[in-house]
Amino acid sequence: MSIAAVKKTTLKPKDYKSDVSVVWCPGCGHYGILNAIYRALSEAGVDPSQLISISGIGCSSRSPYFINSYKMHTLHGRAGPVATGAQLARPDLAILVLGGDGDGFSIGGGHMPHMARKNVDMTYVLFDNGIYGLTKGQYSPTSRPEMKAYTTPYGGPEEPMNPLLYMLTYGATYVAQAFAGKPSVCAELIKGGLEHRGFSYINIYSQCPSFNKIDTIEFYRDLVEAVPKDHDVTDLGAAINLARQSSEGRAPMGLLYKADRPTLDQRMHAMVEGVNGRPDYDLNQIIDLNRP
Amino acid sequence: MEKKDLVIRIAGEGGEGVISTGDFIAAACARAGQEVYTFKTFPAEIKGGYAMYQVRTSLDPLFNQGDTFDILCAFNGEAYEVNRHRLVPGTAFVYDYPAGDFEPEIPDGVIAYPIPMSQTAKDMKSYRSKNMVALGALSALFNINEKTLIEVLIDKFKSKGPENLSFNLEAFHKGKELAAALGKKDLWRVADPVPAKDVLIISGNDAVGLGAILGGIRFYSAYPITPATEIAKFVAVHIPKVMGTLIQAEDEIASISQVLGASYAGKRAMTATSGPGLSLMGEMLGMASMSETPVLVVDVQRGGPGTGMPTKHEQSDLFLAIHGSHGDAPRIVMAVEDVGDCIHMTVEALNLAEHYQCPVILLSDGSLAFSTQTVPAPKPGAVKIVERKRWDGTGEYKRYQASPDGISPMADPGTPQGMHVATGLEHGPAGAPNHSPPNHEAMHRKRFGKLKTVVDFVAPTQVDGEGQADVGIIAWGSTIGVVREAVARLRADGIKVKGFYPKLMYPMPVAHYEAFAATCNKILVPEVNFQGQLSHFIRAETAIMPISMTICGGVPFTPIQIMNKVREIL
Ligand SMILES: Cc1ncc(C[n+]2csc(CCOP(=O)(O)OP(=O)(O)O)c2C)c(N)n1
Repeated sequence: MSIAAVKKTTLKPKDYKSDVSVVWCPGCGHYGILNAIYRALSEAGVDPSQLISISGIGCSSRSPYFINSYKMHTLHGRAGPVATGAQLARPDLAILVLGGDGDGFSIGGGHMPHMARKNVDMTYVLFDNGIYGLTKGQYSPTSRPEMKAYTTPYGGPEEPMNPLLYMLTYGATYVAQAFAGKPSVCAELIKGGLEHRGFSYINIYSQCPSFNKIDTIEFYRDLVEAVPKDHDVTDLGAAINLARQSSEGRAPMGLLYKADRPTLDQRMHAMVEGVNGRPDYDLNQIIDLNRP
Repeated sequence: MEKKDLVIRIAGEGGEGVISTGDFIAAACARAGQEVYTFKTFPAEIKGGYAMYQVRTSLDPLFNQGDTFDILCAFNGEAYEVNRHRLVPGTAFVYDYPAGDFEPEIPDGVIAYPIPMSQTAKDMKSYRSKNMVALGALSALFNINEKTLIEVLIDKFKSKGPENLSFNLEAFHKGKELAAALGKKDLWRVADPVPAKDVLIISGNDAVGLGAILGGIRFYSAYPITPATEIAKFVAVHIPKVMGTLIQAEDEIASISQVLGASYAGKRAMTATSGPGLSLMGEMLGMASMSETPVLVVDVQRGGPGTGMPTKHEQSDLFLAIHGSHGDAPRIVMAVEDVGDCIHMTVEALNLAEHYQCPVILLSDGSLAFSTQTVPAPKPGAVKIVERKRWDGTGEYKRYQASPDGISPMADPGTPQGMHVATGLEHGPAGAPNHSPPNHEAMHRKRFGKLKTVVDFVAPTQVDGEGQADVGIIAWGSTIGVVREAVARLRADGIKVKGFYPKLMYPMPVAHYEAFAATCNKILVPEVNFQGQLSHFIRAETAIMPISMTICGGVPFTPIQIMNKVREIL
């Protein structure tokens, strides 16, 4: 039961702002993404009491504090599994996960495949700034080797990963990419993710003017390229081909892939139905199985 | 002469039917009204290797696996080699001979019953009936109630078809005849049947699973690890019946994270693991302390550190359970004594987590995990469920608002106007980040302060004995059962000894310890770990200077070991 079923409102984007003041640096791309989230929530009409925003640790992971909803600010890398537990416990609510590239793909990288392949019904917005912002500028799994940073004074010794390719191959059922400089595109894709029933992954490039000196707003603007109009979002092969371009200096912007697959909670529900589960099940029946 | 309390050890190679033979005997004795306490060791190998199953049975309550066996049934040469040093005068020794793979030397005074188990099975053209031949022989020799034993076999084999059943029964009767032909030459005899009691026969791990279901869990996240995995297996079968969910996570960090998420979302939630998994959960347990989220972790301890001795018993996670997280991270730690505790203390631990909104760690151990015991059948209607305090929906909601008992109401997501953050950052009453020193201190006082009443919420300790004693024994976990028997036997010998059994390990009920110690000249603390972990806490938290007694060979204490030590320090 993703947001199609949750209680609706007609709140304005500003009504999703909490009273905690935003603490990011001037010029940070995260502002654009946060505004897009407010718009997406408003356009999707999600009642704040029906939403749990969940994050790990990082600049981007502060986002839930700024959103009017139920929220969990957890540990570095662990937003995904925390959200999985919350979703399975309350499949009637909407779940929004917010975090950075370090949070999601470095320390939390072990969880990503499993949320995707299990098709946990949630929307994961990854603020991809190619750097660790909160710890003041170390290279991340999406940093380009050209980048000189805190722990890479001579440039990076590693190749970056391609988040879209990962999520497509892990089995995510909604995969999109945008850029913080295009808030309306971001909002539309996030709204689409909220409305999609299943695991939605939205990678959003976000400039970090304080620490990532090479992935500037101009760099991203030139990098992104709208997904071709004739792209078939149900064609995984075509989506993978588009995703591969990100590693070749042309990053697709838009919805790459969307598939209909039973969600984890739907499958769990089928199990309950299979055994005729009921809240007042007679526990004596379980006890009696253990008699000598 | 009839001995009421006896121990039958069956040993052989994994896959030879050692375990099922033990299970049949245990169930038959329970159906004949006897108490049963079993103990088994599995091979670490996937297939084959030495396996042992020991059944202790008596009309009186049993608290441990006994000092040694009275009857050894050896299926092969390895089983004989491993156990031959314990063949003392008076022991009955049933073994596969002739045509087995060994020819034992029978020590003086040992009563030998050679039974051609393999040969009989071979004659029947079924190697797999070897254990049925042994079972028949054991039944005839030691008065294991034939009627209940056959009922158990029928229940077990009926689903496999009438031919399978009659074949197994035939092997059973052959074993009986072979034994009868040898004639009874020892004194060991299971008591005659009495009316069966309202009991379950259940392992420690299954009992935790049953306690979890009775305790109302609706979410369980699992990651496989010896010796805890069977808990998840039990819960997986039954939790959908009560409309709950079990998920297997990608690792223990994910499983505790999922539990925290489900609990925030309003469900009673838990996981179970062993030491390596608990180590991985440390950071998230701190998050649960900080965000005041109820979570239960059952730790079925095994030999450590590192991968350690996965299939072996140890009580060495007390340090980890109490302090295994960074910062000042309050939690509640309980330890079970026996399989009965596994049921009702799991319920209690869930209640504690919900009431105190903090992590609770319930310690079990490798010796209880697979030990099946007769326990009174629980009554679902009598199970007390304590719900978390929930916001009543009036006024402005502040999640971490101070309150006299330190417990602030929670609001389930979906509740209108209840929106709040669960956060691992230090925070003020409404949850907003707040790093001011006075706030941090006030919040610490809230989180630790609320635990002051735990000692009244549960029965924290038990005292065994009255008046003044020469030696007081403080024991925790499954060692308690061994000490109970040692204390009773020492007292019967006129020695002044008392026992003290903490079930609540943290917060430590210091006053209870000190009141007990004041009645004893010396305090002995036996535990199955190298460092003397409980002794350490006793020295740190109380004025008591205990004598630490530790073993760490991967097996539990025996009563005689404790008795000898008490005599030595008297
Ligand atoms: C277990 C643990 N290790 C390290 C950290 C320190 N840490 C906090 S945020 C962060 C990286 C943040 O980068 P990212 O997730 O990309 O988010 P951003 O700040 O760039 O938005 C690190 C390493 C931590 N909080 N916890």
